[in-house]
Amino acid sequence: MTAVTEADEDRIPKGTVTTVPSPVGASVPPRDLQRTFQLLLATVWLLDAVLQLQPFMFTRGSNGFSGMISGMAAGNPGWVARTITWNGSIVYHQPILTDTAFATVQFLIAFGIVYRRTLKPALALSIAWALGVWWFGEGSGGIFQGAATPFGGGPGGVLFYAVLAILLWPSEGSDRPFVAARTVGVAVARGIWVAVWGLLAVLALVGSGRSPQALHDLVAKVDNGQPGWLGHVDRISESFLLHHGTPAAVLLAAVCVVVAAGVFLPVGARQVTLVVALVVFAAIWVAVQNFGGILAGGATDPNSGLLVIVLTLIYWPLPETSSRVLTMTADLAAAEQGG
Amino acid sequence: MGPPSWLYYLFGLLMLAVAGYGVLLLVLSVVSRRRSGRDVDVSHALMGIAMAGMFVPAWGFGAGWFWQLVFAALMVWFVVGSFQSVQRYGPHVPHALIHAVMSFAMILTYGFPMVQAVASTTPAGGMAMSMSAGRAHLDPGLGLLLVLVFLGSAIFTLASPVKGASHHGSHVRAYAMSGAAGGTDPESPHGGEAGPAGTVESAVALPWLEDLSHVVMCIGMSFMLILML
Repeated sequence: MTAVTEADEDRIPKGTVTTVPSPVGASVPPRDLQRTFQLLLATVWLLDAVLQLQPFMFTRGSNGFSGMISGMAAGNPGWVARTITWNGSIVYHQPILTDTAFATVQFLIAFGIVYRRTLKPALALSIAWALGVWWFGEGSGGIFQGAATPFGGGPGGVLFYAVLAILLWPSEGSDRPFVAARTVGVAVARGIWVAVWGLLAVLALVGSGRSPQALHDLVAKVDNGQPGWLGHVDRISESFLLHHGTPAAVLLAAVCVVVAAGVFLPVGARQVTLVVALVVFAAIWVAVQNFGGILAGGATDPNSGLLVIVLTLIYWPLPETSSRVLTMTADLAAAEQGG
Repeated sequence: MGPPSWLYYLFGLLMLAVAGYGVLLLVLSVVSRRRSGRDVDVSHALMGIAMAGMFVPAWGFGAGWFWQLVFAALMVWFVVGSFQSVQRYGPHVPHALIHAVMSFAMILTYGFPMVQAVASTTPAGGMAMSMSAGRAHLDPGLGLLLVLVFLGSAIFTLASPVKGASHHGSHVRAYAMSGAAGGTDPESPHGGEAGPAGTVESAVALPWLEDLSHVVMCIGMSFMLILML
């Protein structure tokens, strides 16, 4: 059987192509899902880098990058606030230099993840950078203020970059039983999962996390400048959270507990809990976080919703049979070529 | 203190570099009678020139409707190419699809009135496309979706073990072996031997460089769309 390639198209007279290669050829290896998710993480870092180049990020004042950072100090304990204000003052005095440096680091992380030789240093840098941004840029995610509800991105969207970098640390081996376990092992991966979702459950209930007014204000502060269709969604979620904010927070906490426990359940039940997690955080990302505010033109990252979705996907159970099917298909294709 | 104009000049120059590289590849492909990737070369050349004019208004020329027509024609070309590729090779994501989407994005950017307004009123370096006047024309949700597609394409293109796929398609194993990008096309007037044009082509039409031009175009277009959100 002769495989006709796309590049051969322009050398072969029209009408003479009679064979179509099988979608699964003998030379096609099973997809490396860990690598795929690393590249998805790199894509998000690249998005962050490009967002860092927005004009307002190079400017001073309350609407600029320095103002954005300094604004995070409010409500934090004095010693935390001072470190944030210190960082804000540096950005204030050198807005172009600092913003260019910030963007450069994020480009380096994104492109570093792409190349296998630089993958580990890039992931290590991403962890360090994420922790720095979490402290100085996100005001520790509002944890010290009791305002780190998962509805708003608590405990800080950028922390999920660090968690993903750890779980996607490269290693040889199989993506089974789920991608997150490939490097750290099943037990540690489950421990991280329980810790993350347990923390989300707690943060949904403590401080202003269950206050209807605070939850309403979360949406109200990001709905300005959104496109019409998202503004309509915002009005619905604002009204819902104002009237049912406390039950919504309790329900979210309950969902987080169920999802946390789901990692110990049989595959079928686990898949159900993961789908629930995906749906809930997709809804939060759109209707509460407004895609991190990117559509309104004033965001530095897509907030936590997108990253929680990616985190959930790397815990999706992969059946052992699929690898056997791939091997059998490859064997069949090899036999066909040999024959 | 406003946004730095050097950033727009930098992106403008990068876009011109991609356009120049596309023109160079096009000329070499005509000389060597290699047709593979020629449509992408044309597309990159036109997009590079058009986008350079958006980043640095003084470099822009041509009416918006003209560019929209050009990119509409390119989009149709790539959409047809995508269908043909799927028909021939079965279900897969043909490389022509991303170029069709990029052409579509270019049509959208020219439907954004701020581009022409800025081009006609602002001196070089004074790009002001982040103003909100264009929101009625470019839905930010669609803009973000396109940005994610382009940035994903950039990352996955760089990571692909099959270099040159962004230019010549995903079924490039035989392309790589035949050295189609290196000027040894069996149907070329040189009969597969590397003549002067082939030598130049083998030095310039490097698969990784073709991918790099695609990556730069993807990032430039993403930045442009984010400015328009």
